Amino acid sequence: MAKKFKKNFGVLIIGFLILSFIYNHNIFRKLYNIFVINYESRLTKKQGYCSRESVGFLRMLKKKYKFNFNPLIVNYENSVPSSGWSIYDNHNKTNNKHKILLNYPKNLSLHFKPLNKIFYSENTVKYSNGISNIIFDLKDNHIRIDSKIKIYRKTFDKKEIIIYEDNFHKLVKNNQIIPIEFKTKKINSIFKSTFIELSDLSEDQAGKINSIIVNLNHEFNLKDFTIIEKFNNCYYIND
Amino acid sequence: MTEIIEILIQILFILFIITFPITLLKTNTKSIISAFSLIDKLSINLIFLINILFFTSILNINSKYVLYLYVILIIFLYFYNFRKFNFKSIKIDYYFLILLSFVILISIDIAHELYFAWDTQSHWFLKTLNFFQNQKFENLKNFPVSDYPHLGTYIWSFFWKFPLNSFEYLGRIAYAFIYVLSIFSITECLRVHIYEKIIFAILLIFLTYNYEIFSGLQDILIFSLILIKTKFVYYFFEKKFISNRLQLIIILLGIANILCWVKNEGIFYAFFLLFCIFITNNLVLKNKIALITGPLIIISLRIFIFNFYDTELNPSYFEFEKTLNFEFLLILEKINIITFYLIIYLSQNPIYLLTIPILIYITFKYPLKNITKFVIYFLILNFSFIYLAYLFKSTETEISIRHNMLRVIFQTSGFYFLAIIILINNYAHLFKIRLLSKYKILKY
Repeated sequence: MAKKFKKNFGVLIIGFLILSFIYNHNIFRKLYNIFVINYESRLTKKQGYCSRESVGFLRMLKKKYKFNFNPLIVNYENSVPSSGWSIYDNHNKTNNKHKILLNYPKNLSLHFKPLNKIFYSENTVKYSNGISNIIFDLKDNHIRIDSKIKIYRKTFDKKEIIIYEDNFHKLVKNNQIIPIEFKTKKINSIFKSTFIELSDLSEDQAGKINSIIVNLNHEFNLKDFTIIEKFNNCYYIND
Repeated sequence: MTEIIEILIQILFILFIITFPITLLKTNTKSIISAFSLIDKLSINLIFLINILFFTSILNINSKYVLYLYVILIIFLYFYNFRKFNFKSIKIDYYFLILLSFVILISIDIAHELYFAWDTQSHWFLKTLNFFQNQKFENLKNFPVSDYPHLGTYIWSFFWKFPLNSFEYLGRIAYAFIYVLSIFSITECLRVHIYEKIIFAILLIFLTYNYEIFSGLQDILIFSLILIKTKFVYYFFEKKFISNRLQLIIILLGIANILCWVKNEGIFYAFFLLFCIFITNNLVLKNKIALITGPLIIISLRIFIFNFYDTELNPSYFEFEKTLNFEFLLILEKINIITFYLIIYLSQNPIYLLTIPILIYITFKYPLKNITKFVIYFLILNFSFIYLAYLFKSTETEISIRHNMLRVIFQTSGFYFLAIIILINNYAHLFKIRLLSKYKILKY
C-alpha cells in the first residue's frame, strides 16, 4: 500500500513538473501558433520585416528579384550584426553594386551629454564617413568659445584614439549649425562611447552647455543611388 | 500541422540514426557494453556518429554517403536481429519516454522562437550554411572567424538536410536531443528510485533551459558533451568498471575530440577532465599511455588540419605580447574586473549557487574521496582558465566579459552536478534521508 502510494506520489510530482515546464514556457500557446502561423510569418515577427534584423524585407527581396548574387547588406540597427546571413547563398558571388540598406536613418548624429568638463556620447554610429556639422544646445543665447576641440574615444589601457582635433574660436549661438567638413571613419564604433573635450573652457562656460550634437555624413547617401525597392526605411539600391 | 509532423519525424530520425552501432550489436555479458544503460548506449552511438561526421567534414566527403551507409547498416542489423527480439519481454521505459517528451517540448519552443543570437548571426550560421549548401571545409576561410571550430555547425547542417531538408530549426532539434540526453544521462548516476531520477532530471532542465541556449550558439553542445563526459568519468570511479577502464578512456577521448572541434575552449575542458582523471586514479600502464597519447593525437590532428587547410589563428584576438609585458597595474585592473563579473555571473547561475556550497560542504565535512578531489581539481583548472582567457584577450576585457562570460560559465556548470551525485550516493544515508525509495545506498 505504502509502496503504491509512493509510486503514485512520484508520478504526481513528475506530472506536475512537466505541466509546470509547459506552463512556464507557454508551450501550448506556441504549439497553437505553429499550427496557425506559417514559418515565414513567425520568422518575420521574431526578426522584423523592416526593423531589427529586417529578415522579412530581405527574404521578400530574394523571392521577388531572384538574386543570383549576394548583395551588400548594411544594417544601421546597432543592436544586431549584419543581416547578410538570412539570404546568403554560397553558390553566388558577392556583388557590392547591389546594396540593401536596412533601418536607414534620415540623419546620422551623435548626442553628447556633459560630464564635468567633458561631454560623452549617449549613442553610437556605424556607416558614417565623417563629420558634417556641430550644434551646441545652450542655456544662454550665445557663448564665446576659445579652445581646442577634441573628439576622441578611449581604449581599455586609457589610450586616446583621436577622431578629430582642431582649434575652435567662435561666438556660438544657441542651436546654430557650425559646419565642420571632416572625413573620417574612426567615428564608427558601436561598442564604445565617444567624448568631446573643450580643454580651455572654464567650468562656468561648460555649465552653460546643455548638450552637443555632432551630425555626420552617410557612407551610403541615397542621392547617389537608384532606389529599386523601398519599404519604410529599408531600401534596395543600385549604383 | 505539417511542421509538427516534421518535428516528430526529425526526432524519430535522430533516434533511429543513433541506434547504431552498439545498441543493435549483440554483446556478451562480460562486455562493458552490457553494463551500460540504454541512455549510455545511445550516448556512445552519438559520440561515434559525431566523430564520423567530423572525419567526413574534414575529408570533404558528402554527408549523404554517411547517411546511406548508416541506413543500410541499421536496416540490415534490424533484420538480422529481428528473430531474436522477444516482443513479449518489451517493457515501457518511462525514463526514456520522459526524455523524448522533453525533446518534443523543447523542439516546439525552438520552432516557435526561431531567432538567432548575435554570434549565431555573425558567424555560426554562415558556417552552417557552408555545409548545408554542400561547400567544402576550406570554403570556411571566406567567413568571419575561420579559426573557430566547425563541428557543431556541421551537426546542425546534417540534421537540417536530413531527412527532410526543410526548416533550418530542424537541425537545431539535434542540439535539443543531445541536451536532454545528457541531462538524463547524468541523473542516471544517482542511486535513487527511477522516479527520483526523473524528478532530478526535470529539475536540472528547469535550472538550465531557456531558448537563448538553443539560438544557434555552440555553448549548449559544450555543456551537453561535458555532461556526457562526466557520466563516463563517474564510471571511472566505480569498482565494477575498473577492469574496463581502457574502453572508458576510448569513449572519453571520442568526446574530447568532439569538444575540440565544437569551440576553442572545448580543448581545454576536454584535457582538464582527462588530466584530473590521470592525477586522481591509480591507473595501469596501458591506461596511462592511452591517457597521454590520446590527447596528443587529438591536438596533433587539429594542428595538422589547420596547417593543411592553411587556417590561421586570428592574431588580433589574443594579445600575448602585451599581456606578457607585465604591465602590473593593467593586469591587476583586469583581474579586478574579471573577479567582479565572475562573482556577478556565478550568482546568476543557479547550478553554481546550488552545487558549489554542496562541494564545499562535502569537502570539509567528510574525508576526501578521489571523485571529490577530481571535482575540486577541475574547479581550480576551470576558474584558472577563465582568468587566463580574459587576461590574454585583446578585445577590451570588460566588453568581452559582458558579451560572453555568462556563457563561458554556463558551459561547464553541468559538470558540478557531480557534487550533488556524490552527496546523495555517499552521504545522504547519513542524514537518514529517505526520499521516495527504500533503496539501499551502496558505497563505492
